[in-house]
Amino acid sequence: MKHIALGVLGFAVFSGSALAQEREMILPVPQSAYSQAVKIKGGTLVFLSGVGPADEKGVLAAPGDFPGQVRATWANMRRVLAKAGGSLDDIVTMTVYTTERRWGEIFTDMRKEVFKTGYPSSAFMEARKLKTPGALLEIQAIAVLKE
Amino acid sequence: MEYWSNGRAMKTVMLTGFLLCLIGTLHGQELKKEFVDPMPQDSRSAAVKVKGGTMLFLAGHTASLPQVNVDHGNFEAQFNRVFDKIKTTLSQAGATFDDIVTMSVFLTDLRYIPEFNKLTREIFKKGFPAVTFVEVSHLARPQLIMEIQPIAVIP
Repeated sequence: MKHIALGVLGFAVFSGSALAQEREMILPVPQSAYSQAVKIKGGTLVFLSGVGPADEKGVLAAPGDFPGQVRATWANMRRVLAKAGGSLDDIVTMTVYTTERRWGEIFTDMRKEVFKTGYPSSAFMEARKLKTPGALLEIQAIAVLKE
Repeated sequence: MEYWSNGRAMKTVMLTGFLLCLIGTLHGQELKKEFVDPMPQDSRSAAVKVKGGTMLFLAGHTASLPQVNVDHGNFEAQFNRVFDKIKTTLSQAGATFDDIVTMSVFLTDLRYIPEFNKLTREIFKKGFPAVTFVEVSHLARPQLIMEIQPIAVIP
């Protein structure tokens, strides 16, 4: 009996920890591909440095081409997240800095193509300048890995 | 019979011990931390991965003083004041600079980045946090040239 009780306890601990990974997208805004909040408990957090359209060697992709730079930024974020054992789907929040806020609509349209399992929370703003010369956007993200 | 009974007791003790260890591992607050792709030349990591620990979300810190219209000094003077204030905030929560996992750095001129990196190299000795630099046109007060908003994870 004791063994069964301990087994049940062990299972409860395991399933409790598995349930802790569930995330809830609160008040999603599908037309702009973000959620007002993302609720999540437990898990492994990944804090990313700002990621832009420049590759590992600092070479700028798609100069002057905003959609091209967005695609390059997703590719760079995928690379960093893969090194941490995650993917873009693990992102829970992002702050998007752009040099011109008029690109907001193009950006959100492109974000719809990337996030298929739920939208992260997000802030979008215009910065006077970004770190990489010629970069039109930079994204700072926090991810919680699915385990 | 006596022996069997002891054996069973032993087994139960061992199983309990094992399960307690398991519970400890799964629910413990022990912090696991990994610096992903550290870039020492840029004084930052591409990402910082953490599991467990206690999170501390800091406000944006500036060199601002209670008195208005005071000279906040040059970049290095403001940097030192900002990090002194961050240190005070961290210590209130039982944390140190080493616990910072990420920082948003808002500067009025990104040409300060090399100097910023040189100064942070002296602060982060155990590994570099993730960093995002953004140039903004104005901060809360006219004399301010930087605002830093960190997140820390305390073991």
